[in-house]
Amino acid sequence: MITAQDVGGVHIKYLYHCRRQLWLYLRGIRPESLNASVQLGEAVHDTSYNRNSPVDLGAARLDFLDGRHWVHEVKSSARPTEADEAQGRHYCHRLRNLGIDVKGAVLHYPKTRRIFRYPYTPEGAELAEADIAEVLTVASSSASPDRLSNSRCRGCSFTDYCWTE
Amino acid sequence: MTDVRDIIACAETDINTAVIALLNRHRINVHFLSYYGDYAGSLLTSATSTSGETVLAQAQLAKNTAASLEIAHSIVDSCAFNVRRVIDRKLLTRPYSVLQNTLRTAESAAHMMGAEGTFRRSAWEVLDTKLPDWLQLGGRSRRPPKNAGNAFISYVNGITYARVLTALRLTPLHTGIAFLHSSIERQRHSLVLDISEMFKPLFAERLLLRMVSRNQLKEHHFDRDANQAMLSDPGRKLVVQATRDEFAFTIAHRSLGRPVAYDELLYLDALALTRRCLEGTPYKPFRIWW
Repeated sequence: MITAQDVGGVHIKYLYHCRRQLWLYLRGIRPESLNASVQLGEAVHDTSYNRNSPVDLGAARLDFLDGRHWVHEVKSSARPTEADEAQGRHYCHRLRNLGIDVKGAVLHYPKTRRIFRYPYTPEGAELAEADIAEVLTVASSSASPDRLSNSRCRGCSFTDYCWTE
Repeated sequence: MTDVRDIIACAETDINTAVIALLNRHRINVHFLSYYGDYAGSLLTSATSTSGETVLAQAQLAKNTAASLEIAHSIVDSCAFNVRRVIDRKLLTRPYSVLQNTLRTAESAAHMMGAEGTFRRSAWEVLDTKLPDWLQLGGRSRRPPKNAGNAFISYVNGITYARVLTALRLTPLHTGIAFLHSSIERQRHSLVLDISEMFKPLFAERLLLRMVSRNQLKEHHFDRDANQAMLSDPGRKLVVQATRDEFAFTIAHRSLGRPVAYDELLYLDALALTRRCLEGTPYKPFRIWW
């Protein structure tokens, strides 16, 4: 279905947030464009740091790479999550595989004006590899993973799909 | 602009390439209703929501006789449930239980549609008892509608059909593969016919009864002659406005825990069917629960 090369940032983010979301996304269920918070995220993306141009790695697309080889990602949420960190780690891993000596990821949260730095380490590389393998496992499973608890679904663009009767 | 998902053109419309490009950029479908108010066609934006895997699963389900009959059964049952709920619970109790018995033993979708037709005929008769003489249907007639009541029902059904098409285009389902109506045989989108079954009574019959009881419908809202009738210009304006307001009306959704517009119910029902196709979860078509 997909190969390790096709795994992108969104896959990693969904893997950490909700396996069911990842499973559905891989099957072409993409209700994001109808979701208000996704639209907000896009607006934040469009209006933040627009002096820098995004870097397209095929499967992954990161916000920008600075002169000292730090990957920058702009987030529309207020608080950092494990999923955000994993996404940054994945981009570092992708760039390392291309031969770029990436130092790590910098996550920007314009909403709360916080910046977090995650240096890229050998352990990080192992985690990134493990995440890619995990995405492929979810992709190949024929049964859909269960829903999260209703409260954890708040804000998810798949809520309507999962929770309508 | 991005919140507009469709436009229903109720009057003669000219359209050019620049407009089509603009509409496509904002993903807005345009549906055209004919002079008599029945659905004439649509200008649809490119199908970006589609998912190969879902369409394959949907086609397999439609090919599977037992599974597709089960879906057809629940659609007819929910449709009748809603008709009874809207028109008269007491007087339609018996026709409804007769229908349920027939559905249990029905061996084909055509058989089910026949049973639905019988139920519908009783329902139209009961509906007539609640209407003034000049609005009574005297049996359902289409293309062209024979009298004012039929013209009203046809017009609202045409709008409902168009809105269901918009809702389905937002899901990964294929609009040509249906479970109750025959797939891809006719020029129409068969799955839209399936899904609109449950919603027609919510809009058409319900609005008709309400507008009659509020004394809103007048004879000058219809142009009538011996064998056919249609909405007049002021009539069309009134009915289109009432229908539009009805689509925007919101209710508290039970499982989503937030207010949902009637318009969104169409989309949510289509999503439930998507889930039936892709994951095999039971599909319970829309029933009026309030």
